[in-house]
Amino acid sequence: MSIGAKKLLLVGDNPFHGISHLSQERVRDRGNGITTASCAAGLVATSVKSGANGFMFSVSDTTLSVLRMLKSPKSRPLDLYALVPYAYEYVRLATHAGGLSGLFKQFAGQIAFSGNFKAAALGLKGILTTDLQELIKAYLAYEISRIKSSAKKNGILRSVLLHEIITDMSLALNIDWLFRSHVEFISEFGIIPGFETRNFSYLVKKFKEWDIDFSKILIATPFNKVGFQMNPSKAECEKALTEISDSNIVAMSILAAGYLKVSEAVEYMDCLPSIKGVVVGISNEKHATETFSFLRNRVLNKSCL
Amino acid sequence: MKAAVVGAGKMGLVHASILNTLPNVELVAFCDKSAIIRRFLAAIVGETRVFAEVERLVDLDADIIYVTTPIPSHYSVVKEIYSWRKPVSIFVEKTLASNYDDSLKLCDLARDSKRANMVGYMKRFAVTFEKARELLNQDAIGQVCSFRAHAYSSDFFGLKEALKMSSNRGGVLSDLGSHVIDLALRFFGNFEVQSSGEASVTGIQNAVSFKVRTDNQIEGTFDVSWCKEGYHVPEFGFSIQGSKGKIKVDDDVVEFETSSEGSFRWHKHDLSDNVGFLLGAPEYYREDDYFVKSILNGIGGEINFSNASKVDYIIGKVVGGTSVS
Repeated sequence: MSIGAKKLLLVGDNPFHGISHLSQERVRDRGNGITTASCAAGLVATSVKSGANGFMFSVSDTTLSVLRMLKSPKSRPLDLYALVPYAYEYVRLATHAGGLSGLFKQFAGQIAFSGNFKAAALGLKGILTTDLQELIKAYLAYEISRIKSSAKKNGILRSVLLHEIITDMSLALNIDWLFRSHVEFISEFGIIPGFETRNFSYLVKKFKEWDIDFSKILIATPFNKVGFQMNPSKAECEKALTEISDSNIVAMSILAAGYLKVSEAVEYMDCLPSIKGVVVGISNEKHATETFSFLRNRVLNKSCL
Repeated sequence: MKAAVVGAGKMGLVHASILNTLPNVELVAFCDKSAIIRRFLAAIVGETRVFAEVERLVDLDADIIYVTTPIPSHYSVVKEIYSWRKPVSIFVEKTLASNYDDSLKLCDLARDSKRANMVGYMKRFAVTFEKARELLNQDAIGQVCSFRAHAYSSDFFGLKEALKMSSNRGGVLSDLGSHVIDLALRFFGNFEVQSSGEASVTGIQNAVSFKVRTDNQIEGTFDVSWCKEGYHVPEFGFSIQGSKGKIKVDDDVVEFETSSEGSFRWHKHDLSDNVGFLLGAPEYYREDDYFVKSILNGIGGEINFSNASKVDYIIGKVVGGTSVS
């Protein structure tokens, strides 16, 4: 699948999981309503009406329920950008399962009985040969099938991105084969492979070293005026961006988790070269309408990006 | 420097990854009891050696060993490493040991080894708590009169099997509470437990509250729970009352208020929270970087076994003072 020239204006799901990088107190003030699938689905719908042209989400029970509730706009299904695995959920499950090995056993069982033949076959092969690469493929096939069966015709899975924890840990441990394997395997499905990272300049350096083609992948990473989560520094991330002209970067945290106003965010984005799109999490109807109306005017219709 | 990590769970992988990004550090070995974990680690880490038993590390001449196994095994693993009488610096994930007696024995071994040692109280490296300490050191709120500390998570909220499942993590005081106990020791100096509240049956607490008094007569209250609703991400925090004002601090924000100077608020965004490599939380990078630099510079770290054993002392006093069966 070609990434194409379309600018991406994506609604993100962090608030639906009860996460705020500005203040956890703010999450509790919002209450539990936003973490229910029906409320989250309503916010996605409002965002789309206001200008969002895709949904980026971590694959969890909540977001899969949101996909089931999506109503396809008359014109076309919603573009979906999935982050896997939903690491925070798996950390919680690992706690309950008695550690990583307990989680692994539990998860292998889920894949085996998922009814997805490709995932189960790859998983079985992986277990019999103790081949981690095959097990990862089994997991990815399982997640893709869950997404597709939840979204049905109301959404099209455009990209599967490796979650930041896996991306960044693999970068640090020099697991280059994992990146190559992800690109190759996800591409086989006609889906764009992607990576989420909070260490953008480190990723650029490593991917250049490993000869990974930036033009064929999507990268989601923080870019914002105050340098929030831009490591090791805002300047280094901006410099790395200039070093990869043929790339597809989706800027995350453009509001620095609510620290910045959307107008300030766009002002900064105007100055950056070659950004493919933005993803913004929204926490209420008003926020969804205001944010995406503003971004639509600036990102899709005007100069920004 | 050659580094090895014992225990390849979540924390072991985070530290190993960060260490591998630091200049001057080479990750040479992992050690884990789980055959599944070892099998997959071997596939992942290439040239890094993978062992089942900690004894196998003896011939690697590692300069640093990280111990990130479950708390009850810290004592035996660290004791084993010191028994080699090799020039190795040791980092232990918090808490140092599962009881104060074992902590003291490890302090003695560490002293004899004459090498650097550290315990992973990473909240000390959070920019908000560091800002709060800076304000306290500047006497910004005058003389401190009292404080309230909390450590909450929803890890076991609503789970009937919470007690059984949480036992792997050594109880809520060691897992969550130890961070705020350590921060309180850093902020206010030594203290003694005055009274303690609820602890659950079977010795593995799920929610505990207790009162303390510091050597400077500051009254403190701790409230710790991992069954709290609405704490998807664990939260640690303090409300500190002084003679001239108050400070409220948690992982995200520091608020400072005095009658004379008005009120101020700093988000972590305002406090230079970027790090060389972000994995999990910026604090992990800072503590690993700090430990490596303290070894390279030949200076003892502040969060050494001796200071960390004070946390185990407080936990022992709290648990010992409750009706745990």
